[in-house]
Amino acid sequence: MKEKLQQIVEIGVNEIAAADDLKKLDEIRVKYLGKAGELTQILRGMKDVPAEDRREVGALANTVRESIEKALTEKLCVLENAKLAADMEKERVDITEPSQGVKKGALHPLTRFNNKFMDICVAMGFTVVQGPEVETDYYNFEALNVPKNHPARDMQDTFFITDNILLRSQTSNMQVRCMETMKPPFKIVCPGRVYRNDSDSSHSPIFNQFEALVVDENIGLKDLMLMIKEILKRLFGEDVKMRVRPSYFPFTEPSIEIDATCQMCQGKGCSLCKGSGFSEVFGAGVVNPKVLEMSGIDSTKYSGFAFGPGIDRSVMVTNKIPNIKYLFRNDLRFLKQMR
Amino acid sequence: MKVSYNWLKDFVDLSDISAEEIAERLTVSGFEVEEVEYANKYLHDVYVGKILKIERHPAADKLVVCQVDVGFKQVQIITSATNVFEGAHVPVSLDGADLANGVKIKPTAMRGVASDGMFCSGEELGVDDNYIEGGSLYGILILPEDMKPGTKIEDALMLNDVVFDINVTPNRPDCNSVVGIAREICAIYGKEFKEADVSYKTVGENVKDYVSVEVKTKNCPRYTASYVKNIKLERSPLWLRSRLWNVGIKPINNMVDITNYILIEQGQPMHAFDYKYIDGKKIVVRQASAGEEIAVLNGNSYKLDSDVMVIADANKPVVIAGVIGGVNSCIGDDTTESVFECAVFDLKSVRLTAKKFGVRTDSSARYEKGVNVNLPTTALKRALHLVDQLGCGEIVDGVVDVCSKQLQQTEELKISYSKVCKILGIDVAKEKMLQILNGLGIVSSIEGDVITCVTPYTREDIKNENDIAEEVIRIYGYDVYNNVEGVMFENSSITIGQYEPRLVLENNLKNLLVGGGFYETLNYSLYTASACDKLLLAEDDERRNVIKIANPISEDMSTIRTVMAHALLVDVAYNLSVGNKDLRLFEAGRVYQPKALPLTELPVENNRLSIAVCENGYNFFMLKGVIENLLLNVDLQYKLERSKQSYLHSGVSADVVTADGKVVGWFGKVHPTVLKNYDINQDVWYAELDTDYLAALAEKKYATKEISKYPVVERDIAVVVDEKVTNGELVAAIKSACGKIFYDVNLFDVYRSDALGEAKKSMAYKIMFMSEDKTLTGEEINSAVNKVLKSLEFRYGAKLR
Repeated sequence: MKEKLQQIVEIGVNEIAAADDLKKLDEIRVKYLGKAGELTQILRGMKDVPAEDRREVGALANTVRESIEKALTEKLCVLENAKLAADMEKERVDITEPSQGVKKGALHPLTRFNNKFMDICVAMGFTVVQGPEVETDYYNFEALNVPKNHPARDMQDTFFITDNILLRSQTSNMQVRCMETMKPPFKIVCPGRVYRNDSDSSHSPIFNQFEALVVDENIGLKDLMLMIKEILKRLFGEDVKMRVRPSYFPFTEPSIEIDATCQMCQGKGCSLCKGSGFSEVFGAGVVNPKVLEMSGIDSTKYSGFAFGPGIDRSVMVTNKIPNIKYLFRNDLRFLKQMR
Repeated sequence: MKVSYNWLKDFVDLSDISAEEIAERLTVSGFEVEEVEYANKYLHDVYVGKILKIERHPAADKLVVCQVDVGFKQVQIITSATNVFEGAHVPVSLDGADLANGVKIKPTAMRGVASDGMFCSGEELGVDDNYIEGGSLYGILILPEDMKPGTKIEDALMLNDVVFDINVTPNRPDCNSVVGIAREICAIYGKEFKEADVSYKTVGENVKDYVSVEVKTKNCPRYTASYVKNIKLERSPLWLRSRLWNVGIKPINNMVDITNYILIEQGQPMHAFDYKYIDGKKIVVRQASAGEEIAVLNGNSYKLDSDVMVIADANKPVVIAGVIGGVNSCIGDDTTESVFECAVFDLKSVRLTAKKFGVRTDSSARYEKGVNVNLPTTALKRALHLVDQLGCGEIVDGVVDVCSKQLQQTEELKISYSKVCKILGIDVAKEKMLQILNGLGIVSSIEGDVITCVTPYTREDIKNENDIAEEVIRIYGYDVYNNVEGVMFENSSITIGQYEPRLVLENNLKNLLVGGGFYETLNYSLYTASACDKLLLAEDDERRNVIKIANPISEDMSTIRTVMAHALLVDVAYNLSVGNKDLRLFEAGRVYQPKALPLTELPVENNRLSIAVCENGYNFFMLKGVIENLLLNVDLQYKLERSKQSYLHSGVSADVVTADGKVVGWFGKVHPTVLKNYDINQDVWYAELDTDYLAALAEKKYATKEISKYPVVERDIAVVVDEKVTNGELVAAIKSACGKIFYDVNLFDVYRSDALGEAKKSMAYKIMFMSEDKTLTGEEINSAVNKVLKSLEFRYGAKLR
């Protein structure tokens, strides 16, 4: 009996190891553990074993059964995994075939730039406001220290609707509107469309500006410069260089223009920056006290500074857009490149 | 404004400063030099030569062989020109020379005889008869005999100048002149300004015996005049002609050239009258009368009215004041006596007149920017100095000066030193500040914190601390800020940043659309009013009241849009025309609706989000899904009604209507006629939302409920109804029939077939039931379904299929 059991274990385990599919494995199970299986028969014949051997043989028989069962379970696992792997291999796809379902569209490059700029400003404590594009002469010019027939009006070819109503030529109208309605200290930034009556290959009659204004006590050109430097870094990267030039705007005094590293050539010099490595990004300045007073702000207590970039050009350069007309043509072949 | 380097040398010593450096320094101190032009850029290796001998060419009848002395050597030149002669001084271009017309000279041989170069015509040197006699001749330019052989031609003809094209900002009218720029250069380099020579001799007598001046308008604060007789009209000397020529002004004759010279040098427009045409020996400055007319020097004739200021004699207008002179009194070949005018006219008046007639002259350009009331006397003296120097006539003693404005040579200003530093945010040492201001001619001294500044009459732009701060920093150098370091807003307040709510909503909606495959477009907000016709707007639609631009750039962009749809339809048509397919586009933009026309108050500017789709297989319900999803972002209760938009398909479109009946959006298929109007031959789907309205809604709040422990039970039913019965009606009926245990209902199939009967359809619904407090029994569900079927039959004649 003992020898028989030893034999079963040896042959059985070998058979199990040799089984190469689930069907064979099941046959082996039946052969040993089935109702008429060899091991089942032995266990059933236990009552014929002399009483003094029964304990020993019984223990051995159980060990043998356990060994067979364990070997079966392990092998089952191996064979099932192999089958799963084979099945999955059959389902293999060509991962280079095109994707399905809705494909993402894209924001306009101008919106992306606007959003980036606004995020920077909001993080610095600015409130984003928007205002009218059809505007009175007062807010667009007079309250900005440009009386009627002032020569500074020649700097901007304006679309007029009536003698007193026009299409704003600058987002600076919002400087005045905010100064009239908000109490200092405040920081505002106004993105928006502006209109000028000139159009050629490098100008569009409608373009986009930002106007930022800070009114507070104890602020001056240095704060303006520090702020602009920070904005430039966030817009164009840590390495950006800044260059300050004098300029003239009727509503700021002193007035400056700020150039930053040309984003087309990264400062190496190209046709766009005429080899200088810099291109103009901001007009800026300290708000003329006359302008503060006209809008009801005490210029002995408060001062202000303002800055504004024309953004179309920056959008063009940062996205390497070859033609300004692309911005308004809405050709899908262009828009798709902005995904 | 064009300024000559050589001219500047009359007023400031530039011996140690190059033209390039001046350009750089002027730019960084506020006078942007847009271009540095070399007057003789295209001219070199051309010399004055003297023809020693002329012989016939041995092999060609039409050529001659000339031996020429060019100073440093003798050369042989072959020419076909017929106006050369032995002893003539001529321009000779040698090997490697460049000429003004782009020709490059190489030695050559003509019919076997060597030629070392070429004689030049005026054209080849870039000059004409206006500049030098014989300059326009088709032939060789014969030079004056006093030009020495071997002299470079650009030196001999005084073309060796550098011209700065300077962008003078409107706050500095004083710098529309050579002297103004020279003063700036003095300030920048700390050099001394050399005053112009204004001395002259007179022949005695009294100007008042020859001319009187009467000013009858407030638009002329000052008018000065003088009188010159026994005039010898001739060419100005070459030095004077070259000054004008190099800055682009045509020399004419000595008297006219002097007036132009003063304009450029002093920034004071002048006029010279022929005295014999001044009726009544009298000059009257007045507004014109309606009906008067004047023929002017540009060849045109203008009808005048009382808005136009004129200079008149006793009978007629002779000049449009500050703008252009009349032909009836200008200097001509027979002029022997002249009145010189140096006046100041109101800038607005000149500006309006120049605009009215569309005439911009060097004179009007300066008056429009403002001519200082102190300037005429200096300028007039300077002009008379030139008359004397050039010997063009005899100057009668005295100047007529009618001045209504109080003359003030200087103005005193007291400002705070510390405030200037605060504006600049940097500390400029007191001594440095004074040095800069004094260098600019702003005579300054300091006591404690108070700087006393005496500004010269030329600087009317300086009024307060900010103006002084700018003067200081532009000379001190803005480059101090290039590498600025420190803490921003060190001494000021913290403010909290935020977005305007509409922008937040708009950005959310935009991002959702982008995720749904849409591309954002940007469109002009100007269009042509015919867009309203193309979109089939009714005659009485208020959107036909478009705002018209008074000075449009073109008909295409002559009105401000009241409708969004036009732009996207144009975009769709354009994209289809270039072969782009599967278009999903949107735009966030504005419409501008006037309250009344003509505009007396600002229009309502309303922000909209517009959407257009042109794609195979797209349908109404896909678009509806887009709109529903967008509207889930706001707390809006709305219903859909058949759309009233003229440009949408009447059967396949809907309006989004709020509880109080306001239409805040619409969507649907574009009307077939509209598509035709835009040359689009495919279906287009369009939608629009009023984002201002949506952004003004209260923030969406969420109140969630506990998830029920009991299962949801589903039952499917299909009913046949008349075509006109809507899903909305059926769903409402199902919901109400189910009562409390209703959970949800979905339409999952619509089936149409002749077998169902004419104008019938089968609607299949999955109805879901659930209870909050128990598991529903089969009986309860069956009873509910029966109720539903009865209700549908009773209300809509629905038959179970």
